Amino acid sequence: MSNNIVINASHLALSYGDQSIIKDANFTVKKGEFIFITGPSGSGKSTLLKALYGQIKPVNGSLVVGGHDMNSIKKNKLRELRTHLGIIFQDYKLINEWSVKKNVVLPLMIAGYSIDVQETQAERLLKHVKLSTHKERYPLELSGGEQQRVGVARAMAKNPFLILADEPTGNLDDYSSNVIWDLMENACEQLKTTVLVVTHKIPSVFSSPYRHFIIENKGIYEVY
Amino acid sequence: MKFIRSHVTFIFPMMIILLGIEFFLAFDRVTDSYEKNLKEKYSIFVVSNEPMTLENFKSLNSHINVSEEIDKEALAKQVSEGMNQSGSEEILKELPYFYNIRLDSYFDVSMLKSIKEDIEKSKKIKSVEMFGDSHSVSYRLFSFIKLIFKVFVVFMALVSFFLVIRQMEIWNYEHKERMRVMEIFGAPFMLRSGVLYRVAVVDAIISTLLTSGIFLYFKYYWAQNSQINILMLRRDQFFQSSDLLILLGTALTIVIFSVYFVVLGTKDKD
Repeated sequence: MSNNIVINASHLALSYGDQSIIKDANFTVKKGEFIFITGPSGSGKSTLLKALYGQIKPVNGSLVVGGHDMNSIKKNKLRELRTHLGIIFQDYKLINEWSVKKNVVLPLMIAGYSIDVQETQAERLLKHVKLSTHKERYPLELSGGEQQRVGVARAMAKNPFLILADEPTGNLDDYSSNVIWDLMENACEQLKTTVLVVTHKIPSVFSSPYRHFIIENKGIYEVY
Repeated sequence: MKFIRSHVTFIFPMMIILLGIEFFLAFDRVTDSYEKNLKEKYSIFVVSNEPMTLENFKSLNSHINVSEEIDKEALAKQVSEGMNQSGSEEILKELPYFYNIRLDSYFDVSMLKSIKEDIEKSKKIKSVEMFGDSHSVSYRLFSFIKLIFKVFVVFMALVSFFLVIRQMEIWNYEHKERMRVMEIFGAPFMLRSGVLYRVAVVDAIISTLLTSGIFLYFKYYWAQNSQINILMLRRDQFFQSSDLLILLGTALTIVIFSVYFVVLGTKDKD
């Protein structure tokens, strides 16, 4: 497999509990691509994302992420892989007892970076998402849009090779959504980070090149 | 307020468990010393035709620990009062040998009977008197008190253990989201559970210190001023410095296992 390939799914089958969600899916994602995956509710978009960060295992076929076979990946390797991923959730999944700054540097803390590096990175990232003045606040003191910007900053903290986003603007108004799309476009263009977004609708304001997959009838198909 | 309540609801049952353990240790020491006292006071009276040494008695039953010969000259003197010298010597010659023997432990009546039978097997032995009735009453009462206390301590410890588990479930609920998020971002077990371990270890230390404090108060103030003889005499057996290590070790073991299971409970559930 080429080093340029970030995700490779071959005859992939996923299920949620006993229910089959995806069958015989084949797709490849290359470094620096921006991918949208759309589909109706319950089609398996979030299940696919969970398989990509190792929360669930494929029931059939193969799924390789960053060179790791997700069928047979060991726990310590999965942990290591996750430290190189940026994950954004619809419900933000911020730690409410921690300040904005501490939430942002979580991936750096896990990777064992020094406090100085964490401080510097937190300043840079919070400036990037325009939340410098909010660094000592707590997530519940912020609006939904602001919380998601913290989530994006956290996802980008360790310059991941792949950002996975699950309906990142699902709970936001148009203005906040546009800010989030801008941040993710920038990450893809400037840092050459691969971004895979699961969403029910592609934003009209999106201007960068992207690939679009749709999940339908348990299959994943590319829309040209 | 929530912070304090969260700690108190863990410290309280933990203290009950530790108090139970310390009561158990102290009670065991006090009863051991009481048992020793009973054992030392209790003796079997043996009459023999020939002189017996401790080794002779031990060869009959290994539980025989001490043998004391009763001075038969004194006895003969009392019996032969008013008689002449030769009469007195005659009585002394005819008298058998008398012994008080003591055992190495405090046994129940059936064991005493078996020891008596062993002694009586020897042809040198004329008779054995073991005062079984008075012994039996003391022994039964003593065993009953010991049993009741142990059952009570075990019951208290069980109830408290369930309270600790309940508090752990609350902690599980409070920390679940944080630990899940950390796990998604690849945090290892120790980093995910670090906060919980710190809180639990601090609470375990506080519980140990409070429990030790209560017993030290009993030992140095309450027992001293109680005017209850048995407490005043056995004050030193209430709390010993090694107990602090036992209590701390127990408390830490409980929290380490409890936190481990809480953290395991949050793993990769979806």
